[in-house]
Formats: sequence, C-alpha cells, structure tokens
Amino acid sequence: MNCENYQILLSDFVDGTLTADDCARLELHLSSCPDCTDTGNDLRVIVDYCRGQRGQYDAVPNERAMWLRISNLIEAEQGSSNQVQPPAEPGWLFRVMHRSWQVSLPQLASIVGAVVVVVALGTGFGVHELWVKGPVTIVQNAPEVPIRERHRQQEEMIAYWNQRVDLNKARWSQQMRDTFDRNVGVIDAAVDDSMKQLTVNPHDPVSEDILNDALNDKVALLKEFSDY
Amino acid sequence: MKLFASNPSPVKILSAVFSILIVLAAPSFALAQQKVSHRYPAGKNVRFELKNVTGTITVETWDRDEIAVTALMDNRKATINPRITEGGLVIDIVGDNRGLAGNVGDINFKIQLPARSSVDLETRSGQINVHNVQGDLVRAHIWTSGDIQMLGVNASRVFASNVEGNIFFDGEFVAGGTYEFKSGRGTISLQLPASCGFHVVATSSVKRISMGPFWDDRRMKLLSDGRRITGDVGDGRASVTITNYQGDIQFFRR
Repeated sequence: MNCENYQILLSDFVDGTLTADDCARLELHLSSCPDCTDTGNDLRVIVDYCRGQRGQYDAVPNERAMWLRISNLIEAEQGSSNQVQPPAEPGWLFRVMHRSWQVSLPQLASIVGAVVVVVALGTGFGVHELWVKGPVTIVQNAPEVPIRERHRQQEEMIAYWNQRVDLNKARWSQQMRDTFDRNVGVIDAAVDDSMKQLTVNPHDPVSEDILNDALNDKVALLKEFSDY
Repeated sequence: MKLFASNPSPVKILSAVFSILIVLAAPSFALAQQKVSHRYPAGKNVRFELKNVTGTITVETWDRDEIAVTALMDNRKATINPRITEGGLVIDIVGDNRGLAGNVGDINFKIQLPARSSVDLETRSGQINVHNVQGDLVRAHIWTSGDIQMLGVNASRVFASNVEGNIFFDGEFVAGGTYEFKSGRGTISLQLPASCGFHVVATSSVKRISMGPFWDDRRMKLLSDGRRITGDVGDGRASVTITNYQGDIQFFRR
C-alpha cells in the first residue's frame, strides 16, 4: 500500500474506528513515514479543536474576503496542475523552465555559496547607502488597507447581522426594542464621530482605535441579539 | 353605626375605593413574582458564571464554603437550571429559556459566595453589583443599558463594560494585574488607594478625562488633543485600560 492509501485510513484512525489489523499496519507505516505522520498530526489537531469548540465558532472577521482568498487558491492550484503543452519549437526559456535539474552536493554547495556572497554584497551596499544618505522617509500613503475600506467591510457584516436581528425584533417587548435601538445609536454615534475625526486627521490613532472598537462592539451586540 | 361622620364627598369615596383596591392588589403583584433559592457546596476558589437576560445581579461574599443563589422572577414560566461544573457553578438564563422567545422577563439575582471566588457575570440589560470579591477574575458585562458597581474588589483581572450606564470601581489593583473598563455613554469612576501602582491608557473621545490626584506631568502624556492619556502611576505594574466613547473618566483617591 502506498502513502495515498494509508492517508485514506487516517480519518478513521484519529476517530478510533479503524479495525485492529488496519490500525497495526498504519502504525507500522507511520513509524517510518514522516509525511504521513505529519498529516495524521494535523488531522488530529483539527479534530481535537472541533471537538473542543463543540460546533461553536467565532465568525470570521471578513467572511467574503476569506472565501475570495480560498477561491483564488483553488483556482491557482487548478491552474498549476494543468499539464503544460510544449510549443512546436520550444525556446530556450521554455527548455530551462521545464528541464529536470539534478545537481551534486559540491555543485549545490557552490550555488549556496554564490547566493550568500551576492546577498552579503547587496546588504553591505544597502547599509552603506543608508549610512551616507540617511534613513528612508516613509511615505504617508503607503499601501495598506485603508480605514474606510475596513469600515466598509465591517458594515457588510453589520448589515448581515442586522437582518438576523430584524427577524426576531418583532417578538421583543417594546422596552427591549427601545433599549436596543438606543444602545445601537450610542455605538453609531461613536462610529460617526471617529469617521469625522479621521476625515480631519486620517492617521489619528485614537480615532482609529475607537472606530475599530465601536464597529466590533456593534457586530458583537447584533450577534448577541440575533437569537433573542 | 355611621360609616361616615357626615355625607362624604365623591372625592373621598373614590379615594377610599382606590385605597382598598391597592391594598387588595398588592399581594397579587407579590404572588406574580416567583422566588427561587438554592445553596450549592463550593470550595474556597470557586468560579461562578451567570448569563442573565434582564434584571439586577448582586454578588456578595460570605465566610461559608457554599454558593447561595436567590432569584426573583417576573415570568413564572422562566427556567433556571444551574449546572455544577468542575470549577464551580454556571447559570445560563439565555440558554435555559430559548423557548420563551424574548419573554423571559426580569430575573433579579442575589448571589452569595466565598470571597476568593472568580465571578463572570453578563446580562443583556440591568444592573450588576459586585461586593468584596477577591478571586482571580471579576467580569461584569452589560450588553446594553445598566450600571456596574464594584465595591471592595481586589482581583488580578477585572473587566467591566456596558454601552449605556455608569461604571464605578472601588478597589485595588494587584501588581501584574489587568483591568479594563469600557462604556459607550456613561461615567467611568475609579476610586483607588493612594498606594496604587499602574500603567494607564485612558481614552475618551469627548476629552473628559480627569486623573485627579493621580495626574503626574512627568510620567503622563496627552495624545490626540487630550482624547487619550497614557502614563504610569507608582510602580506602574498593573495594566489599566479605560475606554469611553461619549462619557467621562474620573479617578478618585480613596
């Protein structure tokens, strides 16, 4: 049996439902195969975590973005697994990229040595430049997720939980409805205030902190009341 | 025998009738509420968790190795199902009453437990009072409106948060402890002994932070136009974070 066949048995092995014979064979294989051992360990960690959480998990901060990333990864993997068709007259770049390389230990050591020398020279040159010219000025508009974009992403999540709350709201007492609306208003006011401050001073850390806090508070409040 | 000395006026008659009705109605109001009391054996370092829906929670300490739970319920259909766990006692009113669909009503709790207990209290609205608890953790969280009062609290981890309502803490900060207070719109007041040492990050977006006698020009600084104060008091070994969206933050010396 090869690794693929043994890995099929891992799930039952972790659950403890494997037959004694299969269990013995798998354990023998695991004792000599680090890859399958790692896979088994990973699976066990995941299963233990799921059991520990008992099916209750915190919502992902940005569900849509996460699914997008997963979908991109799957597409990328699918793309890479597709067989590359060689052109009729392959150029030198194609031949280099699709050639199977085999190097001896001395050759490998020479390559590593060359890389170390190049990196050392590059670093030395960089440090010298820094010493002569002074530190690099950080551009204010460095690429990062802008606060307004984060705000927009969280607003999407808030809209989702708001819908869940609205489904139940009719069953609440008038007093609870008033209390809830008033408290959401308090949090909304904090969000609005922070956004105004950030319009005046886009890099004010206090306003950013309050905005993040307030948005997280609102999501948590909506989640709490979504099943009330 | 005459019931009235003279001809009574209509106002007097109405007053008498209302008085009688109020006297008759009072017991029925009392009967509408249900009182539940129970005691549970506990060690000295017990952990008590309570998740209420609405109502007041009062936690006090005593010198017995047991937890006494007294609950006064508005809705007689509401269920209280305390669970004894390895570490202590858990009461989850939200989970126990999912079938009532938002009509659990007020449940007012009075809890008595050993002083070294940890308490984790939560309610959707209502007041939380914690007196003299000295365990590892004291957490009081009100999802919406309600005041939090912590008196004589001496725990290494304290968390108090609400959206609308005041937070009052009178206690001590343990060296190395963590203390977080957060409100949306209410006054956060901390009353501490002069010997208290802590590092503070206090944030109020309306710039109303008063460090009182704990202010120190050399060791504290104002940030963002005075909307945040950071710095050390004494040895600075406890970590204190206070956030208030639209309310005041005040420090007092005990």
